[in-house]
Amino acid sequence: MDSDPNHRPLDAAAAAAEDPNPSRSSAPEPNTLESDVVELLDSLTLDRSGNARPVKRPTSNGSMPPDFYSCDEIEIEEEEEEEEEGNPREDGARGSSQRGGGGASEQEEEGPPSPSSSGYAGERGSSVGSSGIEEVDDGRSSVDHWGRGKQHLDEDDASATWRKRKKHFFILSHSGKPIYSRYGDEHKLAGFSATLQAIISFVENSGDRIKFVRAGKHQIVFLVKGPIYLVCISCTEEPYEALRGQVELIYGQMLLILTKSVHRCFEKNPKFDMTPLLGGTDTVFSSLIHAFSWNPATFLHAYTCLPLPYATRQAAGAILQDIADSGVLFAILMCKHKVISLVGAQKASLHPDDILLLANFILSSESFRTSESFSPICLPRYNPMAFLHAYVHFLDADTYLILLSTRSDAFYHLKDCRVRIQDVLLKSNVLCEVQRSMLDSGLHVEDLPLDSSLRSGSMPDRTKSESLSPSVGLGGAAGLWHFIYKSIYLDQYVASEFSSPISNSSQQKKLYRAYQKLYTLMHDRGTGPHKTQFRRDEDYVLLCWITQDFELYAAFDPLADKALAIKMCNRVCQWVRDLENEIFLFGANSFSW
Amino acid sequence: MGLSSTTTVNDGIQLCIFDLRRGQQEGQELDKILFFFPAECPFSVQLSVIGLCEGIITFTRIFSPETACEVIEAEKHSHVFYQAEPDIWMVLVVEKNKDNESIWRCDSLQSILKEVHSLFKMFHGPLRALLDKQPSGELTRSHLYSFITDYLTDFHVGKKIQMPSFRDCLRERGSVQMLTISREVALEVQSLITVIGSSCVGNTACNSLVLFQDLLVSTTLSPDDTANLFTYAVLRLTPHALSSNTNSWSYLRRGTSSPNIAAASTVTNAGAAEENQNRSRDTSPGGQSQRYHIQRPLQRDKWCKGKDGFVVTDVPCAEVGGFIPLAPIVWLQQTEERMYLCVYQHKNLTIVLLIPVSSLINGEQGVALLKKQLLENASEKIVTVEQKLSRSWGGENAYHVSGYRYLFVDRDRNVSRASPPGKVTTLTKDSLLALNRLREEVDLEKSRAKRDDPDHEKDSEVCIRAKNNAWVIAKITGGRELYMVLEKASETLLYASDALEKFSNRYCDGAFSLD
Repeated sequence: MDSDPNHRPLDAAAAAAEDPNPSRSSAPEPNTLESDVVELLDSLTLDRSGNARPVKRPTSNGSMPPDFYSCDEIEIEEEEEEEEEGNPREDGARGSSQRGGGGASEQEEEGPPSPSSSGYAGERGSSVGSSGIEEVDDGRSSVDHWGRGKQHLDEDDASATWRKRKKHFFILSHSGKPIYSRYGDEHKLAGFSATLQAIISFVENSGDRIKFVRAGKHQIVFLVKGPIYLVCISCTEEPYEALRGQVELIYGQMLLILTKSVHRCFEKNPKFDMTPLLGGTDTVFSSLIHAFSWNPATFLHAYTCLPLPYATRQAAGAILQDIADSGVLFAILMCKHKVISLVGAQKASLHPDDILLLANFILSSESFRTSESFSPICLPRYNPMAFLHAYVHFLDADTYLILLSTRSDAFYHLKDCRVRIQDVLLKSNVLCEVQRSMLDSGLHVEDLPLDSSLRSGSMPDRTKSESLSPSVGLGGAAGLWHFIYKSIYLDQYVASEFSSPISNSSQQKKLYRAYQKLYTLMHDRGTGPHKTQFRRDEDYVLLCWITQDFELYAAFDPLADKALAIKMCNRVCQWVRDLENEIFLFGANSFSW
Repeated sequence: MGLSSTTTVNDGIQLCIFDLRRGQQEGQELDKILFFFPAECPFSVQLSVIGLCEGIITFTRIFSPETACEVIEAEKHSHVFYQAEPDIWMVLVVEKNKDNESIWRCDSLQSILKEVHSLFKMFHGPLRALLDKQPSGELTRSHLYSFITDYLTDFHVGKKIQMPSFRDCLRERGSVQMLTISREVALEVQSLITVIGSSCVGNTACNSLVLFQDLLVSTTLSPDDTANLFTYAVLRLTPHALSSNTNSWSYLRRGTSSPNIAAASTVTNAGAAEENQNRSRDTSPGGQSQRYHIQRPLQRDKWCKGKDGFVVTDVPCAEVGGFIPLAPIVWLQQTEERMYLCVYQHKNLTIVLLIPVSSLINGEQGVALLKKQLLENASEKIVTVEQKLSRSWGGENAYHVSGYRYLFVDRDRNVSRASPPGKVTTLTKDSLLALNRLREEVDLEKSRAKRDDPDHEKDSEVCIRAKNNAWVIAKITGGRELYMVLEKASETLLYASDALEKFSNRYCDGAFSLD
């Protein structure tokens, strides 16, 4: 498996000192800190060996779709964290210059503009803010912007820019070999990687396991998964639990590509070099990391559905069920990050995290869009040890069908199934409805019925009501700005579209982080889950309400009245229940996990 | 060096102080260690703990050069950091037991390190100054050894050392607890303070702290100095502290007029400390204390109340101009002045008097004269004030508010008030855990706000209805913090908010002002 025959055992500390990379030795000063750490720990460490020798990445390893390795599209991609959090005061200026320049892609355009909508909110053109930050999403942007592979390859741990990145993710092997780094070239980060390894094993050798280190706003989160070490270095001030969850997802994404049997390679050869196996999948990871700042599914552990008329979803479900009986393990019809329908074979259940990782994998790999694909993937929550075989086909720009089978020879069968499904979907108008929903659906806080007697039981028609809405630009009644409702039983959530007080993506990300914090405190491992939380600060009033059936997270104007806010929460719950046939998927297999 | 040896050999805590400016040459690593508890830990273990801490400090500086490392959280241990002085670090390592009791707040543990450092500085001055004075570090090590060992005796529960846990989440270490007094009594106190202040000779006014029981009645010092002296008084000087300190032996032993200075630890040999960077066993701190005059203000049994009402100590201070003064000397942070510490006690009233060293040319005699003067001028007033305070004193549950378990902290004045500990223990473990967690979150948010904009305090309010139906609340407004647990409150958030409102109106506004 090892692609580099010239491996030689090399002490990690020695590697740091020797400095295999000439560019690093040309700037030796900033590295002294880091090699100090290794030396410090090394002087106290008994047995630590690592091969930090840089490895050449092959163009293909043959087991992955060939275009995984087409990472030649590397471009200057601005760092989303940097952009947004680096200097918030420049937001406005950047917003305009970005439009003028058009070259550097900003985080505002990078991903789906709304956590709830996976893009279609942008198409409503509801941008009220004059900054024009809300970009129209043509449905391909998430791939266009995230499909460029590794960013900032020129950087390494000696670069000031690298050190100032808001959020680093690293995967390394237990011998200190770099496997993945969000920023910079892994090869150049060999010394740094050895340092991380030294820290982890130093603590491990004392019979303990390091969880995190905090220094000011920086947090370093460590996760050990057998021979794989994962590290996140962040100054985003997200809670430890949230960062840890993200690192777990990174690991899950890695398993999705390789399965856990990769651990065995390390048993056979501790200095095994895993980098080639992940070659070309940088976009998958960068897209997932981006999701950590907009997709509530990453911390809610639930998935969201595209709102559709009940009958439409039923029709889609029926045909999926048909083929599921013919030896397909899972059949999933999705539109971007949202589920249209999904069906599993008897007793097979799909974890929401698996859906998230699978969708991310498909949406961030350009190859799936160009033709039908048959690819080995692993669902880490379903069975981390084994590959399944995924047949993926895009029915239109955003809508795609995933058919999962345990059989590696199922391609033609699955292709036939797809043809049948596509046929039915076209005939029953499902795809048209999906398109329409993309353009024009979702829950808007402005539409929250204030009189409970006026329940319609179906989605309000935005094309008619929008101009009449009295509170456009101010959010909903009683200062309601946004909400997320998670049905515990269904493992699904629905989030409202962002209304104008939360109009640009930096505000959206801020709210996302606030929700994440709210969630973390409510679900504290030792004491949670709690029942209610009310939080008022300078930015929001946040309300969280957890029952056996649902979790509600709602954001209000910071001046909102407490009593009215509670009333609104009740209304939201009622509203969601009234609309549940359209916003949730029922009748799918039980997702007990 | 085997690393597996880092497993703790003690009650589950380690406390170390090290100086990153020392011992940077290979083979001289031991020189950076200024203090290590437990002292009997093998050097290999000490070096291993400090090696990890130093490694992490260096590593975090790659990303965060400005802010210091605060904590290493591992599955079985927490390492809590405090950079006491530039390049001088204190690290507390606490072990997590399986009994679920070892859950704490990082800030609360850090406040222990801050406290012991502040107290040390009050008696011995900054560590760096001590190190500069005697570069071998032996003097510093000796001082630290006895000081911190004495300090840690307060955490002994049985034979074990127990650090504050989540059960202490309704307490605020390092803050001052005040007695609320009526206007009439306040005037009496004020006039007493004026008399005390004028006891000093010349034109220097004496500073003073007046305590009733373990509560502060008045202070003329800055908030920081007040907090330090208050902490010290409650640890060692108040009637409560004295009664738990002293045993009959020490009462019998000590005369009032001639404190037996020469007795215990006055061993002369302060001779030139050898430059011995690779310390061997026989120069371990325990041995060193015999070689220096070690002032041990935190040693139990050191203070006792004499017949004249003055609380005296047999602790010999570091020599000043060739004589050993009667009263210990403390450093004030605010004015950087050295003061004699003179303590008078009448029943439950403790008066801590601080006399500038510079104002007394004739040292010991001057202090004696001053004491005499104080008794002549103020004893009547002291009796009156004590009587009035006793009469209005509501007992140990005076600040209990039925239905509430609370902690109120005024950061600007460094003052706190809390439900009596006996009442806090009635709370369920779940409620305390939930509040502890919430406080942790608030701590993080506060330090974040401080980093973002030190001049702008962010107001916030969090009410959580916990799993066990208790309401756990934190509210921060204008530098004041209120934490509470309501276990028997009704279900609605509005009820909880109401309860908070009522409490705040009745007990928090102006509760700590003297008028």
